[in-house]
Amino acid sequence: MLRSCTAGLRSIWALRGRREGAPRLSTDLQPARRLFSTEKVIHKDWALPNPSWSKDLKLLFDQFMKKCEDGSWERLPSYKRRSTQESEDFKTYFLDPKLGEEERLSQAQLFTRGFEDGLGFEYVIFKNNDEKRTVCLFQGGPYLQGVPGLLHGGAMATMIDVALGSCTGGAVMTANLNINFKRPVPLCSVVVINSQLDKLEGRKLFLSCNVRSVDEKTLYSEATGKKLPLAILGLVSAVWGFFCLGRGGVDLVF
Amino acid sequence: MELFLVPPTSCPDSTLPQPSDPPRSPWWTLCHLSHHGDQPKSPLPRSWPGQVSRFCQEMTKGKNYALPNASWGPDMLSLYHEFLEKTKTSGWVRVPSFRSNRDHIQGFKLPLDLSANSDKSDWRLFTRCIEREGQGYEYVIFFQPSEKKSICLFQPGPYLEGVPGFVHGGSLAALIDETFSKTAYLSGEGLLTVNFNIRFKNLIPLGSLAVLNVNVEKIEDQKMYLSCVTQSRDQQTVYAKASGTFLQMHLEKDSSRQ
Repeated sequence: MLRSCTAGLRSIWALRGRREGAPRLSTDLQPARRLFSTEKVIHKDWALPNPSWSKDLKLLFDQFMKKCEDGSWERLPSYKRRSTQESEDFKTYFLDPKLGEEERLSQAQLFTRGFEDGLGFEYVIFKNNDEKRTVCLFQGGPYLQGVPGLLHGGAMATMIDVALGSCTGGAVMTANLNINFKRPVPLCSVVVINSQLDKLEGRKLFLSCNVRSVDEKTLYSEATGKKLPLAILGLVSAVWGFFCLGRGGVDLVF
Repeated sequence: MELFLVPPTSCPDSTLPQPSDPPRSPWWTLCHLSHHGDQPKSPLPRSWPGQVSRFCQEMTKGKNYALPNASWGPDMLSLYHEFLEKTKTSGWVRVPSFRSNRDHIQGFKLPLDLSANSDKSDWRLFTRCIEREGQGYEYVIFFQPSEKKSICLFQPGPYLEGVPGFVHGGSLAALIDETFSKTAYLSGEGLLTVNFNIRFKNLIPLGSLAVLNVNVEKIEDQKMYLSCVTQSRDQQTVYAKASGTFLQMHLEKDSSRQ
């Protein structure tokens, strides 16, 4: 039944994905080959240290990994795109068969994982299931600049959205986001985003977070957000929500 | 300037605009760079408000990203040309867009003693971080000085994905912030963001055209209040509504560079 649904959606996808204004998949717009070259890249967990991580970030990471040892905390994995099976289904049902082999794989990738190491969003999220809260360690790289020398507020808003989403249990969409900025965040520094689920009202999830410096002395911003289950959206979204459910590390919020 | 705020009490008094000071810093170099030869290098119309025309003092050598490229779809191109026409007939200004905001403020000091840390050549404006044409943010902002409003034409590429096939909400929030920021500064030296609020209504399909309409709703007590409606070109689908508050602040000339 899913196959017939998704096959039927193919024309919708082709229309939406390839309608006027869509980037041309021609030879002069080459996709980044490193993203499509191996399954390893697709399955790589990006929420792990790499050479671009500062000392502060690595130290905090180690501290939280220690907390994971007794099971009270867990580290959420984070992928650039969906699993092999999901990618296969995507290729079969959603891509134009006239495209070449390399082009059959979507150029699309999760926004916050689309940068080379250290240039964009470096982050890892730890979840405390008992207390229904998460801690996101975030280092904003040089491509996230706003005012020269400072993190772009929109980049901070993106991470706040991701962090709030990590407190929810499954596939959600963001309805509202409200952020009060208190202090600018220096570019390439590390901040800690503490998020929690405040209440559940029917299907609506009300969340809040604060963004602090590593030593907790500086409060950079505070935010609240409301999220809704993804399945409320149209059929296309619901189908993808099915594929994505349960993948704790994939950022489904938007 | 993008979203950030330092509580006013922590600012040295000299950095806060005084009521008697006229706005005098040419923050933006609004200029008709013609990388694609579609705009003559003519002097700015004299009808431009003084503040905006003061911004157009210096040509920059940096690449202007607010110009069409091969990835722009027909929707984006046709609306772009419609507004380009308005820059000749109805006072609209096409806002240039560079790799870093540093390119806009040559000769001026950043507030909050940020200058020392800001001269890194590989640092980039977030909404101009993805170089590949058509892969990330393709956008251009047009500003109407007499009405303190602007419009941003936005064509999102596949690197901005959230839910498969659709734009990541955070990436949209960032572009709304960027448009707020330019509008606030051009309208009255709004520099530091106090608050940002966004309500998402519908998903934007990747590759389609979204239009951001930004208005300055009011200016009061050195704060600027802006609103934004993001919708499809035919206005039949509203994607998001947002509001932002900016603190007014002007930049000092950097005497150490002269």
